[in-house]
Amino acid sequence: MLIVSNVNLTENDGAMKPTRFLNSSVRDYVLNINNDYRYMKMGYYVSLHAEVLGNPVVPRSENAIDAYRHPILLIKAAKHGIPTLPYMVTDSARQLIKKFGFPILIFAVNPFSNGGYRIANNETALYRALRSFGLNHKFTVCAQPLRGKMVSVKTVFGKNGCHGLSEEISRRFYEVFKLPICRLHIQECDGKAYLCGIQKIEIEELTAADLKLISEEIAQISRIGEKYWLR
Amino acid sequence: MAKIACFVEKYNFLDPTEAEALQKFKQTAEGMGHGFDFLFKQDISEIPKYDAVFIRATTDPLYTSYVVSKTAWELGIKVVDDPKSIQICGNKIHLYSLFEKHNIPRIPTIFLAKDDFHHKQISEVFDAFGRPVVLKAPYTSFSKYVERVACETSFRNVARRFFRRSDVLVVQKFMPTSFDWRVGVLNGEILYVCKYTMRKGKWKHGAKLRGKSKFIWGRSISLKREHVPTRFKTVALNACKIVGDGLYGVDIKEINGDYVVVEVNDNPSIYAGYEDLRDRDLYAKIITYLIN
Ligand SMILES: Nc1ncnc2c1ncn2[C@@H]1O[C@H](COP(=O)(O)OP(=O)(O)O)[C@@H](O)[C@H]1O
Ligand SMILES: [Mg+2]
Repeated sequence: MLIVSNVNLTENDGAMKPTRFLNSSVRDYVLNINNDYRYMKMGYYVSLHAEVLGNPVVPRSENAIDAYRHPILLIKAAKHGIPTLPYMVTDSARQLIKKFGFPILIFAVNPFSNGGYRIANNETALYRALRSFGLNHKFTVCAQPLRGKMVSVKTVFGKNGCHGLSEEISRRFYEVFKLPICRLHIQECDGKAYLCGIQKIEIEELTAADLKLISEEIAQISRIGEKYWLR
Repeated sequence: MAKIACFVEKYNFLDPTEAEALQKFKQTAEGMGHGFDFLFKQDISEIPKYDAVFIRATTDPLYTSYVVSKTAWELGIKVVDDPKSIQICGNKIHLYSLFEKHNIPRIPTIFLAKDDFHHKQISEVFDAFGRPVVLKAPYTSFSKYVERVACETSFRNVARRFFRRSDVLVVQKFMPTSFDWRVGVLNGEILYVCKYTMRKGKWKHGAKLRGKSKFIWGRSISLKREHVPTRFKTVALNACKIVGDGLYGVDIKEINGDYVVVEVNDNPSIYAGYEDLRDRDLYAKIITYLIN
């Protein structure tokens, strides 16, 4: 197993830096640990390079794109039985009001989105969100009804340390998309949790406890062996 | 009798020859007994009602068109362009890595990562490729983010701009020609062949006029597909094969009698009176492919 990481792991994890990996043609099972897997960021290119070399890799580049394309995240999650709420992709406020009423949760589906969301409680706020997230109506947004409260959890190998409703969502998300590090936006209502969105985290947000968890996961994965990449 | 959705955006109807081509797709489909509706951004939730989706809006993994493509794909609906083709053709790092892996005749290329971009790298590039060199942002299309640089300062300036959105960029040897071959390919067969010429004094098919932000284009000259050499066809088809079996436009340069692939595009331009001039059956072929 080859670990490629831009995160400073402990010495004995023996990780290779992303840029060095991009210039290599190593044949091995690749575990790509990065704080940012968004399309065209280094985390994405590492997975892509591994795939071009014919290496099994976690995460796959397709999952990195899809997790950060909001409607696709929801479609794929729902397909795999992760709880989600109805969504609509559109640039029309009228359609959204008709379908959901207020309050509405809005995620951007534009090339410059960082994954953050907005809540619109009334028409003015909705129009404003459509204009700014749609980059002046050039792009759509992905909207969902807001029925409960939003929580945002840092997720490392499917664990978020919250032991609440959201823990199960983090675990299932990781099973399906296999993104080792991210922040998940989850909606909790009536005693249930629903996956809503994903955002990258900053490297500085990784605590000593997170790094320890990453080391433990690496040890666990090397025990599981190649089966880990097949799942 | 199938129902086809054609995903477009308003800009697809701005050029009258593109609008006419879109109408020809519609007439052809309807003439064959199929339904053909234009779908816009606010109609995305209608996708499940269709048997096939044909995307004519510009594609990129970060645009609405990718959401359309992937939504159709996940529902098991036939879609052109398919998500995999958009992922590969939409990113030149991806495409050129596959060219290298599969030994497609290509322009000498290296990739530069933002994290190790130093003076030393730049001099090595100039030593290897001479001056000028061509820099490309991986997400470029319509020649927009393809620039020529001859000194370290302009190299740095252009690279800094391209690195804003992508952590890796493309550097190539400068290999100018007076035209690009453009080959339309569908499902492993040649649909049409054109020459896209460069304007006088320009080296890209699409270029900016000095001091203006508006793009101008060279001419498109259409040729009958039977008339191209076999060796040329083989190069074009092999390049498409590594991407998929959908609809592509391959750009090829002819240099000292050799054919060198510049790129494979998904979502190739089809304008009435240009790409379709010699091979008018392309509309029917694409519709037939969509419903099979
Ligand atoms: N290395 C190169 N040397 C000379 N001309 C080039 C080179 N690469 C691209 N071009 C020209 O620049 C234009 C755009 O290049 P291309 O790679 O097709 O980017 P885009 O995807 O933006 O169309 C084309 O006309 C092509 O022939
Ligand atoms: Mg081109």
